Amino acid sequence: MLQTVKPKNARSKRALEAREPKLVENEKTTLFLRGTTASGIVQDALGDLHSLKKPQAIKFQKKNAVHPFEDASALEFFSRKNDASLMVFASHSKKRPHNLTFVRFFEYQVLDMVELGLDGETFRKMQDFKNAKAGIGLKPMISFSGAIFENNPTYAHMKLMFLDFFHGNTVSEVEVEALQYMISISAADPSDDEPNPKIHLRCYMLKTVRSGHKLPRVELEEMGPRMDFKIGRIQEANPDMMKEAMKKPKGQEMRTKKNISVDPMGDKIGRVHVDKQDLGKLQTRKMKGLRKRGRDESEGEGENDVEMDDGDVEMDDDSVPAISPKRPRV
Amino acid sequence: MSTEMDVDEPQRLQVTVTKPIPLTYDLGHLTAFDPNPLPPLTPSTLEQTLHSTARDAAQLLINQILTTVALKSTQDGVMATLPEPITQLPREKPVPKAKELTKWEQFAKKKGIAAKAKDGKMVYDEATGEWVPKWGYKGSNKGGEDDWAVEVDEKKQQDVNANPRSLSRAERVERIKKNERQQKRNEKNAAGSSSGSGGYKNRRR
Repeated sequence: MLQTVKPKNARSKRALEAREPKLVENEKTTLFLRGTTASGIVQDALGDLHSLKKPQAIKFQKKNAVHPFEDASALEFFSRKNDASLMVFASHSKKRPHNLTFVRFFEYQVLDMVELGLDGETFRKMQDFKNAKAGIGLKPMISFSGAIFENNPTYAHMKLMFLDFFHGNTVSEVEVEALQYMISISAADPSDDEPNPKIHLRCYMLKTVRSGHKLPRVELEEMGPRMDFKIGRIQEANPDMMKEAMKKPKGQEMRTKKNISVDPMGDKIGRVHVDKQDLGKLQTRKMKGLRKRGRDESEGEGENDVEMDDGDVEMDDDSVPAISPKRPRV
Repeated sequence: MSTEMDVDEPQRLQVTVTKPIPLTYDLGHLTAFDPNPLPPLTPSTLEQTLHSTARDAAQLLINQILTTVALKSTQDGVMATLPEPITQLPREKPVPKAKELTKWEQFAKKKGIAAKAKDGKMVYDEATGEWVPKWGYKGSNKGGEDDWAVEVDEKKQQDVNANPRSLSRAERVERIKKNERQQKRNEKNAAGSSSGSGGYKNRRR
């Protein structure tokens, strides 16, 4: 067991508390790093993925002599040090050119790893598209197109992996204006000459045009990066570990609030229960004549009482005090 | 995509997309899953095909968000309330464990003893008619320690040479130490049970 660190001041205590397991988790931090050899292409790809994942991302500048599929302990160390549970490792070799290894961690230990070979010919970096880019830290829209993502277990795994990688923070509401870009991940169906089709990753800016209908017409403009991946080695997750990672905390389910509902129009409706009204305590119009009088009320009140005569208040007989307001008392 | 033409005559633009298999959505993740097979991809038409399928998916996703989700306009803009995500993704760290019960809490639970209500630090001193703290500076638990005359208690006075004045203080200090020992033991038990309990780690190694 690792030695537990006891915080020595309030700041480090807060920092340690931020790392503790939470019921509702924060957004996963992604770490981007490169091996000892990395081609320019794969470095560009790494940089672009980093800019898509900002601000919850850390990029290392130095080379790391790591081979993730042989020994991932160094990566686990980096994960622990940086509190990062997603990682992209870039490397390039003759056997595996332009390689990006996507690693997920659970409790600072490797959960699963997928190696994706980037197609160097078709890769276009973000800067190659001369247009506006999405703002930093916005939640992207994601689409997965292709039947293969449903049918093929490897591609289904890739789908979950990419979803985990790109979905950002889980939020309860999002500004409609902030739906600025979409990450589209698609793959063709397998054929005889291509049993493992490439995964195409494209990023598009969204443009909404007035359509004349209530809904807008959506147009897309590619903003980059453009990446085509060939799936390489895969390290599946340990089933026990995955089970542990998939556990849902108890008492987390949304409680349905009583008497609050949303109708089909999207309006919130609440039912309120109110006690029966006590009419005996009802405050009617205040009149001087109805006031309880003291013994030594002076004269001059006669004028006021006369004024009150044109008041149109009707009263029940039993609520009328002994002195009627209509009859001036002299 | 013929955007230029459409902008010039904005009467009616197509906002619906029909797909052979309807898309599924996970609006909590702002995600659309299109299970329709892609049209055949040839290198010359690859980008166009991907662009048009992505546009269709984006249109459908935006339609889905704007029609099914509760929208409310605030001063920051129109906010769409997202439902809980459907696709479950692995957690980053395990679910935090409930705090281990102390030995006293275990005992109290077994016996059904309810915790004492916290009624503050101050207590009313009948003799002087003042409110004094229960412990600490001028605390009421130090009663008798500063008295000018101290009665010798036969039971406590085991050592003849011990100063009878300091005995009551020694007793209090001993209680504090005992509590600290118990606290430490509880912490140790809690740490031991949390790391030793089952899980994938023990099975793997």
